[in-house]
Amino acid sequence: MKSVGVSIDRVDGIKKVTGQAKYVDDMKMARMLYAQVKRSPYAHAKILSIDTSEAEKLPGVKSVITGEYYKKRGGLYLEDKNFLAVGTAKFRGEAVAAVAAETLEIAQQAVDLIKVEYEELPAVTNAIEGMKPDAPIIHPDLGSYKVAPIFHPIAGTNISHHFKLRKGDVEKGFAESDYVTEHTYYVPHVQHVPIEPHVAVAQYEADGKLTVWASCQSPFAVRQALAASFDLPLNKVRVISPYVGGGFGAKAGTTLEGIVIPLSMLNCGRPVKLNYTREEEFEDSYVRQGVHIKIKTGVRKDGKILAEKVEYVWDAGAYTEYGVNIVKAAGLAALGPYDIPNAWADSYCVYTNHPVGGPYRGFGMCEIHFGLEQNLDMVAREIGISEVEIRRINGLRAGGITGTGQVLEDSGYQDCLETVVKEMDYDTPSVSPSPTKIRAKGIAGGWKSPSMPTDVASAAIIRMNEDGTFFLMTSGQDIGQGSDTALTQIAAEVLSVDPSKITIRTGDTDHTPYEWQTVASRTTYCAGNAVKLAAEDARDEILDLAQIKMGYGKRDLELRDGFVVHKMHPEIKVPISTFALGLTMPDASGIHGPLIGKGSFVVPNNMGFDHETGQGTKPVAFWTMGVNGAEVEIDTETGEIRVLKMVSCFDPGKVINPKLYDAQVEGAMVQALGTALFEELKLKDGKVLNKSFVDYKIPTADDMPELVVKVAEHAEPTGPFGARGIGEPVMVPGAPAIANAVANALGVRFYRMPITADDVLKALKEKKAQEA
Amino acid sequence: MKQFNYLAPKTLPEALQMLADYKESAVLFNGGTDVVVRLRDRLIAPDYVVDIKHIPGLDDISFDEQNGLTIGACATMNAIGENEAVCKHYPFLAKAALSVGSRQVRNRATCIGNICNASPLADTGTPLLACDAVILAEGPDGRREIPIRDFFIFVRKTSLKPGEIVTAIRVPYIAGAEGVFTKVARRREVDLSTVCATVLRCGDEFRFAFGSVAPTPLRLVKTEELVRGKKPDAALIEQAVELARSEVAPISDVRASKEYRMDIVGLIVRRGLETLAK
Repeated sequence: MKSVGVSIDRVDGIKKVTGQAKYVDDMKMARMLYAQVKRSPYAHAKILSIDTSEAEKLPGVKSVITGEYYKKRGGLYLEDKNFLAVGTAKFRGEAVAAVAAETLEIAQQAVDLIKVEYEELPAVTNAIEGMKPDAPIIHPDLGSYKVAPIFHPIAGTNISHHFKLRKGDVEKGFAESDYVTEHTYYVPHVQHVPIEPHVAVAQYEADGKLTVWASCQSPFAVRQALAASFDLPLNKVRVISPYVGGGFGAKAGTTLEGIVIPLSMLNCGRPVKLNYTREEEFEDSYVRQGVHIKIKTGVRKDGKILAEKVEYVWDAGAYTEYGVNIVKAAGLAALGPYDIPNAWADSYCVYTNHPVGGPYRGFGMCEIHFGLEQNLDMVAREIGISEVEIRRINGLRAGGITGTGQVLEDSGYQDCLETVVKEMDYDTPSVSPSPTKIRAKGIAGGWKSPSMPTDVASAAIIRMNEDGTFFLMTSGQDIGQGSDTALTQIAAEVLSVDPSKITIRTGDTDHTPYEWQTVASRTTYCAGNAVKLAAEDARDEILDLAQIKMGYGKRDLELRDGFVVHKMHPEIKVPISTFALGLTMPDASGIHGPLIGKGSFVVPNNMGFDHETGQGTKPVAFWTMGVNGAEVEIDTETGEIRVLKMVSCFDPGKVINPKLYDAQVEGAMVQALGTALFEELKLKDGKVLNKSFVDYKIPTADDMPELVVKVAEHAEPTGPFGARGIGEPVMVPGAPAIANAVANALGVRFYRMPITADDVLKALKEKKAQEA
Repeated sequence: MKQFNYLAPKTLPEALQMLADYKESAVLFNGGTDVVVRLRDRLIAPDYVVDIKHIPGLDDISFDEQNGLTIGACATMNAIGENEAVCKHYPFLAKAALSVGSRQVRNRATCIGNICNASPLADTGTPLLACDAVILAEGPDGRREIPIRDFFIFVRKTSLKPGEIVTAIRVPYIAGAEGVFTKVARRREVDLSTVCATVLRCGDEFRFAFGSVAPTPLRLVKTEELVRGKKPDAALIEQAVELARSEVAPISDVRASKEYRMDIVGLIVRRGLETLAK
């Protein structure tokens, strides 16, 4: 192949590195107004009154709105959210009012002049507490909310979804086991910290047309949500997503768009812009949900796991319109990439008075694997086999059965495991440089499927220009992961042209074709399939015309380097540009007209599952599996942990662009390192104590370990050129691999992320006290 | 951020006059790495911002053995950290200066600003305290010299009087002195200190200066007294560690627990004595 599997440069690279790429924040329009938001200072409070009169009097203020202005609830899977609080404020920092003014400064001053009277209510700040019968109820009307049929809110509680997985006979499995262990873990909230905070501009025009420019991952999903929330027909809503400065899931849903739209409607014709500060990003965009994990495992002496019972209690925040699906995804993946005959899993989505939980790279997987993969190491230790051996014994193979009862035709897990063991020289212990600087290695596996509804759709259109170049249109968004480049390569491969001959256009719901969402590590796979189909459609049209022009049957012709070429006699060839506008016949008449290929894709045979047991034939499109290794060095006097090396091996099916693949995997490992060692939204009584980079630390270049990226390609039969999604899965085993290495170094297990220097010294002191 | 008038005096008397004229409604602006953050967070809302960076000579760094090191008010952290004399005679101060923020921040941030900001965890506070540096200030009543130990009063409070401008800081030259600066933070780059410290040996005297373990950077005078003139053997080191822990009063916050800070104080005293006694 000439384009697929080749490390071409990013198609958006030059624009980005020269600063010429235009982001939403770069947009300045004539007569633009600026919005600012008034936020609740309470975790849970009844809004008694909002006095906006002083704010409205301030010169330059155009409009002030509260939740009373637009009371309709919305949400992706569960309609539980208002863009501005109605009746009660459910988390600290929740938007309760908003202002549009001539300048940002005036808008800020106006916000200060809004007076809100609250009556503070008891708050839920712990999900396990929130499940108890006497807990304050955050959504008393939960039972009446509109919800997608795959989710099951429990009316009168804080539980907005309960996912159940039941496989085999778990009690019998425990009874037959030689060892049974049980441990609990906690993973706190973290934030995505995209380099570009959320930003949107909305303009409502006199003819009823609403245009929204948003830094968002999924313009069509945003269009749908906004049209439903504001009762607008879809042809009157246009969502444009230009360059996006990173999303990691935080920009998958709809957030601040819902605040600027009503303000733009009140100021017909004038664009209204809202730009979140970093502090607002932490408080009121999305965060990764916290989760309480309980894992009980039964294992036979020979290392075979016979039974596993897990419970995930998700601290999902004040609104769970998106979070319920993370809870479901965690349930479907509850056991990790292991073949366990008897299993029982409960995954609960629990409302708390915390910032809103939402999609974050990994969609629940990074969190649950922090427990699952440490659990495996502990089980192995218990029965006296190595952590590698227990993964060899239980890791999924071809013919293996997943937790949801799916029989896998193929599995790359074991290859990945062996590759990492070899690359890490895993069986050779690390050499510690001094008695107070201890080194050790750790390993962890992981998996993820695209956590999307079974029938979500993708489309692509490809148009040939008169000179044989192309425009490729999709709405799979390049949010930094490189999809513009990968999709271009897929089209170039089918059309046998250099990728530079294709210009990709995305992200405009009026002009680019439908794409459900850029989430779930599905873009290369879903949008990629649509692009491949569109390119094949264009190729077919070219060949149809070529057989008329060239006088050879279609089956003897192929596209090669910009020409239609006779397969056996390559000297017989015609440039593809000949057919751009159809074909001119010998009598000067034209046929066919301009050449346009189209492709539409949904995942084949992706079916629902039984809601009582979670079992199904093919409840997910595919599973992406892999393994990480990590080597750490710990200063036992300061507690500082340095990650020296990380190795990744995943099964991506087929790598479309090796350089971009490496970049994705390296980024994922470092992001995982951040969550393992630094990142935590420090919450106290619902307040985020560290809502800026002063005290929310992410890794710097200095923290980068040596990174090794390997692949074990087992083609995905339904993927474009065999590719499956990798963006999220490659982050999943990183944190537990580091945690396992730390445990191997110190002989102390950490049940909570992040593992800080403070934790290390405390644990070492406790260990010393116990030994004494 | 509120609108303000930006003033750029060209001479010190001019700057002093502006402070005298505008009093509380003016804020002094040097590197700006603290002031800009406070403006953005609306913690301050001055009518006048008096930028002293355009006053010639205020960014000088000079050294001779008699007068020691003189750092001008506008000398940046990078300029200090890369200055030949500082690196040669005060390497612990160079290390402290280069531990502040990021390279970009250090291109703006100044040592004097760091001191005047009077954060408990001011990174350049401890090397200056250990050296008994002297702050040179000019004000409506003329010049005065303030020993650094009398300069820090409390969190963000100094003994500067209204209208005074720090023009420089003088760091005495101590022949044969050897010092170690340590910064323990959550992350090695671009972070605030969880604990920072300078341990300095001058002849048979040890000095311990710590940051982020009390409302101001401070010297551990009792611990210094304990080890003065003695050879630090294992028993004395353990005693010093215990005494040092009793001289600090750290708090638990989002960065670390009180216990962790205590442990690090002990570790720094021990490592300092072990390293410098050799």
